[in-house]
Amino acid sequence: MNLIGLYPTWFEPGISSGWVVGIIATVHVLFSHTSVGAAIFFAGLAVYADRNNKPEYLDFIRRYGMFLLVFSYVLGSITGPGIWYSTTVASPRGISALIHSFVWKWATEWVFFVIEVVGVYMLVYLAGKIDRKTHLRIAIIFALTSYTTMLVIIGILSFMMWPGQERWFAEGGYLNAFYGGNTFAQLGMRTAFMFTMTAVVGGIVAARFDDPVFKKAVTTRLSWLGIVSTAAGAAMLQWYLNTLPETAQVVMANRLPDRFAPTLLAVLASICAYFAVTMWKPRLLTPAVATVATVVLLVFGLWPEEVARESMRKPYVAGQYVYSNQIIARDVPGMGITSEIPRIEAHGLLKTQVFTPPGLREITPANQKQVGEFLALSTCSNCHSLSATGMRPLARYFGGNTDVAEISQYLQAALSTGATIYMPRIPLRDDEAQALATYIASLAPPKLTAGAPVPGARIATANAAPAAEGTAR
Amino acid sequence: MNAEMLYALRDPAGIPSHPLVFLLLAVLTFALHVAAVQVMLGAGALVLRGAFSAQPHWRRLAATMLNTAKIAVSVAIVIGVAPLLFVQVLYDPFWYTSNVLSARWVIGFIVILIAGYMAMYGYYWRNPNLATQPAKSSWMMMLSLALLLLVGWIMHVLSYQMLWPEQWQQWYAPQGRIDASGSGLHAYSVARFGFFVALSAPVTGAWLVAVRRYLQGAGAGDAAYLAFLARLARGLMLPGGVLALVVGALWLLTLPEKMAFFATSPWMLAALVLLLVAVALPTLLGKHLERGLWGYAVFGVGAVALIAVAAAREVLRYTLLSGVHGYDALDYTINMDWYSTLTFFITFGVLGGVTLGYLLTVAWQAGQHRGGDASLGGASAVYTPSAAVTRLGRWSVGLLVVWIVHYFAVGFYTMVR
Repeated sequence: MNLIGLYPTWFEPGISSGWVVGIIATVHVLFSHTSVGAAIFFAGLAVYADRNNKPEYLDFIRRYGMFLLVFSYVLGSITGPGIWYSTTVASPRGISALIHSFVWKWATEWVFFVIEVVGVYMLVYLAGKIDRKTHLRIAIIFALTSYTTMLVIIGILSFMMWPGQERWFAEGGYLNAFYGGNTFAQLGMRTAFMFTMTAVVGGIVAARFDDPVFKKAVTTRLSWLGIVSTAAGAAMLQWYLNTLPETAQVVMANRLPDRFAPTLLAVLASICAYFAVTMWKPRLLTPAVATVATVVLLVFGLWPEEVARESMRKPYVAGQYVYSNQIIARDVPGMGITSEIPRIEAHGLLKTQVFTPPGLREITPANQKQVGEFLALSTCSNCHSLSATGMRPLARYFGGNTDVAEISQYLQAALSTGATIYMPRIPLRDDEAQALATYIASLAPPKLTAGAPVPGARIATANAAPAAEGTAR
Repeated sequence: MNAEMLYALRDPAGIPSHPLVFLLLAVLTFALHVAAVQVMLGAGALVLRGAFSAQPHWRRLAATMLNTAKIAVSVAIVIGVAPLLFVQVLYDPFWYTSNVLSARWVIGFIVILIAGYMAMYGYYWRNPNLATQPAKSSWMMMLSLALLLLVGWIMHVLSYQMLWPEQWQQWYAPQGRIDASGSGLHAYSVARFGFFVALSAPVTGAWLVAVRRYLQGAGAGDAAYLAFLARLARGLMLPGGVLALVVGALWLLTLPEKMAFFATSPWMLAALVLLLVAVALPTLLGKHLERGLWGYAVFGVGAVALIAVAAAREVLRYTLLSGVHGYDALDYTINMDWYSTLTFFITFGVLGGVTLGYLLTVAWQAGQHRGGDASLGGASAVYTPSAAVTRLGRWSVGLLVVWIVHYFAVGFYTMVR
């Protein structure tokens, strides 16, 4: 069989499909981490209230519980499958690789989800109707169950970066895929930051308390939780970074903008400062302030983190064998997986793809640009927008160059050989490279296509491409 | 799209257990999911009916059904994760292609579902005392129902497009020009969708029979209200059920040629007979509904009938794809992984069984506890579970701790091996 398993491509011209996934994933991280953190925080508060006879803390749980129900379980439970949906349409073979390796783990997580949902409804609706010890036990079950959902997903997220054990490639097996140094480092980091998010979002509820003494007591606890978890998260982040594979380190050094590290430090420091202020002056904590803090955390904390994670695993999207453009690029004998690259080299991309339109299987002068567009869609658009907006627009990398021969030469030199570290190897045949170059040349702005080369326009070369990549971000 | 092309799309990693296991789980969890969806739609419709009524029983029912609908959405979403998982495992070439070809709707599904759910919550917040006070902002509930039906329609189309691989190329590149926008909904069957929506009437009827029995057990419903519920439930089950069967028959009569075999499939016929038994059961049981567990048996039989419908639906998909298109979902390459397989079944059967058993027992008994619900006229005494139930709770906590310890222990072993 000479076919490769590429699906049709979905291209979203406004913000591109990759960012759609990113946005949904980021929002989900906020909801899911907050819900897990709040579940554990609830259980702690319930234990404290029970031991110290402080029923007012149970009132906090009731109020926060209702908010949590909507905030986390309405939105979290939808955006969770939403990540599946968005990756299904943006990166079907990436999600398929995860699904087929971890189906039982996800099914196990599903058992915990069901328990979690029953638990949270009981915590809210049976508060005051069942005895305190039973309510406490349900809070503990809810907390433990919530945390298990994080335990399950962490290994899958780590596999996206790198299979847990190198021997997975030779032996296969779920355990080798799931457990690695990165798994536990990421678990520690996400656990810490999950409490940070809980403390920030919890402020929205605490801000509404009328009793200043009680408000101060709750705010103080949330603030300490936030400060300690942020500091712990910063330390865990260092651990996490040290567990990243070498290629990820190289990509980070070359791809992430210089401002990334200082921005991250500034965000962490700002979070600590925010908690210090709300602890010092609880009256400053209003629902509006807490809401703004949540949005700031989402935009300046979670979004860059998710973007960085997405970038670091390039050129792969899952398990270091599925390229971001969905081509399987490596043999995994332990799973019976063979690379598709040799097939593409032998027969070309047009002949091997299932969804190549019949009229584009043979390249002619008349369909050359159309073939190029098809190739760009299927091999480039996962990471490079084909329009002027969205994720890393393809046209920007060629500086308005309209010389088809030069572009084709670059494609053959940098992509067909796999010479660019974070880019997939795309073995283009000569006529395919020519067609793709024709299409890329057509993306140049009209004013650049009319005359002589424009001053400053850069001919893309294998060496220059990474620099362009850096500036385009 | 020939068989070679379809197999080329299949994930090369294989699957970690026999495909039949996933197929059976897919059927079972789809049935549970669709039951929750149907309760959600039926309860939502009853909320609206009650909200526009001045009759106290309708108002009271509307308030109860609003809570039911809210929880049913959550349950439908959570349970729906399982069939969504298993369809990707077995039918990945079909599911992914169908989704990509309608990608904009797939993303829209998420947004619309959030909007529909939030609208329901908005209505709930606007009407904290729906039983006694005039309904406000009923447009929110109407909007919610409309949006929930729309997401159901999207899901129907995605499932239906899977069955038309011979059309995919044309949908992706009409007249040879690629349309990568994912903006189209390409294939649908109004009768098939209508059948699953119409089943909401008998399923909700069966649910009401159980609610009535529950209230009776808790001593929480006056005779007039219980009689009102009984009348309504019978009306939803028998005429509503027959209507659903008529729509189902219409679906079978209008099947496209390549699916015509399904009209006489013994699986579908058995499912329809079971549905007929379920909808006639309250009438057949008569006074027995007042006693023991018979009041709950109707929903139980209804659930079995839904499992039969889900199985028939799967037979249609499997037979069509293997017979007409040459793709056998049951010949998936197996990369057997005993650890993850056993982890799931032990977690599901032991931990899930004990913990959910504990939680649902507490929830049930707290509701049945006389005086446990002050809003229903009882005293405010709290419910304290028996020692046996509490022991179950301790077991639940213990099992969860053991699970977490096992997670780290196995991880450590894997790391040092």
